[in-house]
Amino acid sequence: MNPEPFLQLDRVIHEKGRMAIMSLLAAASELSFTEMRDSLGMTDGNITSHIRTLQQAGYIAVTKSFQEKRPLTTCSLTPSGRKAFEEYINLLEQIVKLTKG
Amino acid sequence: MNSDWASENLQVIRTLMERATQYRRALAPMTLLAGVLGLVAAGVGWYAQFDRPVTFVTHWVISAWVINVGALLIARKQAINAQEPFWSSPTKRVALGSAPGFFAGGLLTAAITMRWAEEPQVVPWLIVIWLLCYGCALCAAGFFMPRGIKLFGWLYLILAALMLFAYWPSWLKLSVLGNHLVMGVVFGGVHLAYGIYLHFTEKRGDAS
Repeated sequence: MNPEPFLQLDRVIHEKGRMAIMSLLAAASELSFTEMRDSLGMTDGNITSHIRTLQQAGYIAVTKSFQEKRPLTTCSLTPSGRKAFEEYINLLEQIVKLTKG
Repeated sequence: MNSDWASENLQVIRTLMERATQYRRALAPMTLLAGVLGLVAAGVGWYAQFDRPVTFVTHWVISAWVINVGALLIARKQAINAQEPFWSSPTKRVALGSAPGFFAGGLLTAAITMRWAEEPQVVPWLIVIWLLCYGCALCAAGFFMPRGIKLFGWLYLILAALMLFAYWPSWLKLSVLGNHLVMGVVFGGVHLAYGIYLHFTEKRGDAS
């Protein structure tokens, strides 16, 4: 098998928790912190850490606001995050094709 | 080296992307509200003798709006309690998915009511149209909601078919009481029954 596609995989996304967050955000325009936490069954600390890593990579944007005086944190994919995620999926598909072919 | 992990990752991504589009608000309180208000509306309509198409339609359209506003307020409260945006991506999908069904129902109702404003025999036809359009709207919204909603939509389509064909002769001779009774049963009663079922079966995690 040609190892090249594997070596090209984005290490920021290629981690179970971060890949899950990116997957949710790729399907929804924006999601709240609690929606993601509940959907993925992660702890507050765990998801906060992953969000910070993705935010530092420029893949997601975090918005803090208030709804009825309650804090509301929402996340969305940035254009570069969407592009990186699409490339990640393409590479995964290439790997599957290479090993099957 | 095998690619099982890559296939598994792709499968996980697909599953999570589908999950992100699913509407997660608890439906039991909304369906219970629709059921109770539907029965009340039927009682009021019969008591006030709303038998002309114009009064019948006005009464039930206002009732539907009251129920919708109530359901939206419940959904909003659930979203605030869960620290989630009310107008979320899944909510938008549900609204956009069901919109064509409601639009078709509204358009046909307006056209029929304007054309036959004083002819009570069109009222049963309006009920069949409402059942069909509501069923279609639920089926479409069901793609972004728990699976039961699609079945619930099909129940309305079957009810419309039954009324249109199985009870055809008696259907057209319904009295004022009969029309409102049918509306009370098919919209109020059915929602109430489904709401009670959901109250006991809906996952508490969904009731965020």
